[in-house]
Amino acid sequence: MHHSVELLDIHVSVEGSLVLRGVSVEAKPCEFVAISGANGAGKTTLLKVINGTLTPDSGRVTVLHQDLMNHPNPNLLRREIAFVPQKTNHHRFPLRVGEAVLMGRYGKIGLIRRPTGEDRAKADDAMRLVGILPFARKLVSELSGGEQQKVSLARALAQGASILLLDEPTTYLDAPSRLEIMETIHAMHHERELTTVMVSHEPDWVEQYADKVYLLKDGVARLAT
Amino acid sequence: MSLPAGLHLPFFQHALIAVLFAGCAFPLIGVFIISLNLVPLRFAMMHIALLGGAVGLFLGLDPMLFGLVFCALASTALGPLSEKTKMGLGTLSGFFMTLTLALAFILFSRGKINVLQAFAILWGNILSLNFWDLALAIGTSLFIILVVFLLFKEIQAVLYDREIALSVGLPERKIYYLIVFVLGITVAVSMRLIGALLVDALVLLPAIAAQMIARSLKQMFLLSSLFGLISGVGGLFLSLAVDIPSSSAIILFASLIIAICILFQRRLISHVKNA
Repeated sequence: MHHSVELLDIHVSVEGSLVLRGVSVEAKPCEFVAISGANGAGKTTLLKVINGTLTPDSGRVTVLHQDLMNHPNPNLLRREIAFVPQKTNHHRFPLRVGEAVLMGRYGKIGLIRRPTGEDRAKADDAMRLVGILPFARKLVSELSGGEQQKVSLARALAQGASILLLDEPTTYLDAPSRLEIMETIHAMHHERELTTVMVSHEPDWVEQYADKVYLLKDGVARLAT
Repeated sequence: MSLPAGLHLPFFQHALIAVLFAGCAFPLIGVFIISLNLVPLRFAMMHIALLGGAVGLFLGLDPMLFGLVFCALASTALGPLSEKTKMGLGTLSGFFMTLTLALAFILFSRGKINVLQAFAILWGNILSLNFWDLALAIGTSLFIILVVFLLFKEIQAVLYDREIALSVGLPERKIYYLIVFVLGITVAVSMRLIGALLVDALVLLPAIAAQMIARSLKQMFLLSSLFGLISGVGGLFLSLAVDIPSSSAIILFASLIIAICILFQRRLISHVKNA
């Protein structure tokens, strides 16, 4: 079977030191893949390689059967890869929840063009699925950490991508919120038939949700389950 | 001088037209500065303009024009340069700030330039604008408004979180470079209008006030324009009425708006919320 995501013998240096030393990871369509490792193991670096925001020193990155490293327009391919960061940077920025979710559509809408009714409907659907539609007119900064993470998930859903990348989405949350977010991710993964790649520093925690877990240690990934 | 008499003076009319346009458009750049924390870049632009002025004087040419050209070139180069060198824009701005100042002083010394003449670039005078200054202010204002209007959603994403803008498939780097470029041009033109030391009056202060009460980026842009317009026009009339420097009067108005926003923040937010 063709893989949605395939990394082959990836080497990445960050500020002169080799972070990834020959990492190979693959995710089939609709598969939930978790990559686990200690802090500083290179998990976020690996996600950046998959969404093309970091170019490896060597190796091969194939996303949706296309060579990402030699792609003529990586932005086009990136529209098919939704990314959920650990945390957004700008807390005081005046942005309503509805706008933050609609942002997921911006790449597909195209430069200068305005969002259409269809784009807004997709954003509403995404908010409904993760349970934040009642907060649509609230500011993102007025929400709790767990609710803010749901906004990021809804934005990823609204993007309409087939690949979902999650960078430790539960790190800053308390135990009940973590469980709720993981259940939401699980529901999104199945309902939208996504290929999901999630990194986490807690292997036990992700095992129950993932089809496959890689352990990232000393710059190398090995299959754990 | 009485207010009605002042209104008929060409220099006052020029100043009024300039603040009508710049008052609306320049605070939009203040929103960029606040959201992306580009304050060091703004300072660097002032020093780069000073170096441009020094080069102009050294060559016996128009120092103001050279200040503008240097700012335009620097604002085009600084974004890509910070990516290439992997130095943050803030660090790079600090570096350029000191380097350009050192070079300017070398030129002052070697060219036996009257330093006060060079420093004139740092304090402009809105009541001494000629036709070309006015055209420049109007052109820059229209350019800023056009950029913000056409690229609103792209700018919104970059100001909110550059990583997210990139990950949804926007050309985040190009938008960011455009923002830096527009900022550099605006600071340069503002210096001609009100002087580098008072650029904040038109660019930053209205945006600071807007940030306190805005509930969306659209509101922040609109409110900062409104506050910029009120402080620009109000300051100009105040300066005429009580005979004080116009730049200082504009700052007084802008500061008053900030004070009102601080005092009535909660009530104003509920008004904006219901609007």
